[in-house]
Amino acid sequence: MPKLERSQWYDLSRDMNWDFKYVNEEEVFPEALSHSHSIPSAAWWTWDEPYKISYCEYVHNQAEKDAGVYSVRSAIARSKLFENLDPGWKAAIIAHYGAIAMPEYLASIGEARMGRFGRAAAWRNMALYGTLDEVRHGQIQFSFPHELLKKDPRFDWAHKSHHTNEWAVIAIRHFFDDVFTSNDAVSTALQLTFTVETGFTNLQFLGMAADAMQTGDVAFGTLISSIQTDEARHAQQGEPTLRVLVQHGKKAEAQRLIDVAFWRSWRVFALLTGMSMDYYTPLAHRRMSFKEFMLEWIVKQFLDQFRDLGLERPWYWDLFLQELDWLHHAFHLGVWFKRSTVWWNPDAGVSAAEREWLEAKYPGWHERFGTYWNTIAENLRQGNVGHTHPETLLVVCNMCQLPVCSPTVGAPPWQVTHNGRVYTFCSDPCKWIFEQNPARYAGHLSILDRFLAGHIQPPDMAGVRAYMGLSPAEQGTDAMNYAWAFEQPRAASAS
Amino acid sequence: MATVPLYAVFRSDFVMLLVLVDDEDTMEVVAQKVAYHVIRRRLPPRDAPMRVQYNRRVLQPDQTVSQAGILPMSFVEVFYDA
Repeated sequence: MPKLERSQWYDLSRDMNWDFKYVNEEEVFPEALSHSHSIPSAAWWTWDEPYKISYCEYVHNQAEKDAGVYSVRSAIARSKLFENLDPGWKAAIIAHYGAIAMPEYLASIGEARMGRFGRAAAWRNMALYGTLDEVRHGQIQFSFPHELLKKDPRFDWAHKSHHTNEWAVIAIRHFFDDVFTSNDAVSTALQLTFTVETGFTNLQFLGMAADAMQTGDVAFGTLISSIQTDEARHAQQGEPTLRVLVQHGKKAEAQRLIDVAFWRSWRVFALLTGMSMDYYTPLAHRRMSFKEFMLEWIVKQFLDQFRDLGLERPWYWDLFLQELDWLHHAFHLGVWFKRSTVWWNPDAGVSAAEREWLEAKYPGWHERFGTYWNTIAENLRQGNVGHTHPETLLVVCNMCQLPVCSPTVGAPPWQVTHNGRVYTFCSDPCKWIFEQNPARYAGHLSILDRFLAGHIQPPDMAGVRAYMGLSPAEQGTDAMNYAWAFEQPRAASAS
Repeated sequence: MATVPLYAVFRSDFVMLLVLVDDEDTMEVVAQKVAYHVIRRRLPPRDAPMRVQYNRRVLQPDQTVSQAGILPMSFVEVFYDA
C-alpha cells in the first residue's frame, strides 16, 4: 500500500478536538489551569506549529541524540580532559548543573500542564513531546555530573541544590515556580516557551556550548547542544499561542505576561550566564562578551519576533539596555565576595589581561568596578583574607531574590507596603511585577526576611551558611587560589 | 536599647547591606557601623568625616537613631563629606 504524504494524514491523526456533551468546558479545562482568556474553543483549534513530528519519529530521533551524547561522555571519561580544564570553566559548569538540572524536571511539570490543559489537540500533542524533552534534560544533566562526582564532590549540587535554601537557589526556584511550575497553560506557553526558551535559553545553551567547545570541554558542549535541539522544537508552542491571543484582542494581556517573564529571565541569566561568559570562561577562549551575546540574541533576534507578532518592546526597555553594561558585573562581584555561600568556586577573572578585556568590552569598567577589585587584591596581598568575606547579609529583592545592586547608589530602594508588610525591590520592574499580582508573591520570605524573622540560627554568617546547606567542604572559594591578586602590578593597587 | 536593622549603602559602593544598629546609636556610630562592612574591603579609606543621609536629609552626627525617627528596615546612605 503506498504511503500517504504527511500533509494527508498528520492533522487528521493529531487534531482530536471535539465538543463536549456530558461535561462542560470548565470541568474539562478549569480556568485556573487552562486560562482560555474567554477565547472560544473553536478559535483555539486553529493553533498550529511547524514541526509536525510523529511519536515514532520523536522516539527515533531522541534515541539517536542520546546515543550520540552518551558515547561522547564514555569516550571522554577515559581521558584526562576534565582534569585539564581551566578552574574557572569548572566553576561555570558546576554552577550550571546546580542551577539548571533540577529545573529541567520542574519544566516537565509546566509542559505536562500544557499537555493536559492546552486548549487545542495540536498544542497538547506538542507539549507531550516537550514533557518528555524536559525529563530527558533532567536525567542527562544529572547523569553527566554524577559521572564527575569522583573528580569533584561539588557536582553533587546538581541534585542537591534545589533541596536547599541556598540564596541563588531561592532566586532560581522563585523564578521558575512563577513562570512554569505553578502557572496556567497559556501563561506557561508565553512565559516559559516564548520568553525563556525562545529568548534566554539560547544564551545559556548556545552561547555556553560555543564557549565549551572553545575551552575544550567537549562533553559539556555536546550535552547542551543536544538539549538545545529539543528546546528549539518545543519552544515553538509560544508563538502560536501568542497569535491566538493577539488575533482575539488579548494583545495587552499577552504583552504583560511576556514583560513579566522577560524581566525575570534577564535577572537570572545576568547572574548565571553573565558571570560564566565574562569572568569564568578562560580569556583565550571567549568568543563574544555577554553583552555582545545579549545584543545579538535578545536585542536583535528576539526583539524582531516581538515586532513580527505585533508586540511592543517591554516598557522598561531603556533600563534593560543600561543594565547590560553593569548588572552582571555587580552580581559577579557580589557572588565572589560571598563566595562561601555558593556551591562553586568563583573565578574572580580580574587579572591584568582580563581587566583589559573587560575595559575593551565595557568601556568604563575599570572606573566603575576596578577600585573594588584593587582594594580586594590589596587585602589579599596583605594577608587580610577575612576582609574579602562579608560579615553581614546583602539586601535582596523581594521579587528576583538577588542582591539589590545599583549604579547610582544613593537612591532609596523601591518599596511597597502590602497588608502591613514592607516589600523591598531592586528595581522598578521588579516592583511592577509584584504589583501585578501581590497575592501570588506576598507570602514568600526572602533569605533576608528569614534572617530577620529568626529562622536562621545562630544569626551570623556561619548560621547563614549552615541554613543554606553548605558544609565547609562545599563552600566556594576563589577558583585560582587568589593567584590573580599577586599578578597585578603594585601601581594598580588601592591607595 | 533596641536593635534596629537598616538597609544601608556606603556611597560609591555597589550593593545594599543589612546593618544592625542600636536605637541609641548616634549617626557617627551608625556611619562607622556601615563603613565597617565597606571601607578597606571594597573602597579605600578617605581622610574626611562620614555623614548619614536619611529621607534625603543629612543628619547631625550626635543625633541618635530614635531621635531621627529611623524605623527598622529604613534606608540610610553613608558618605564621606569632602
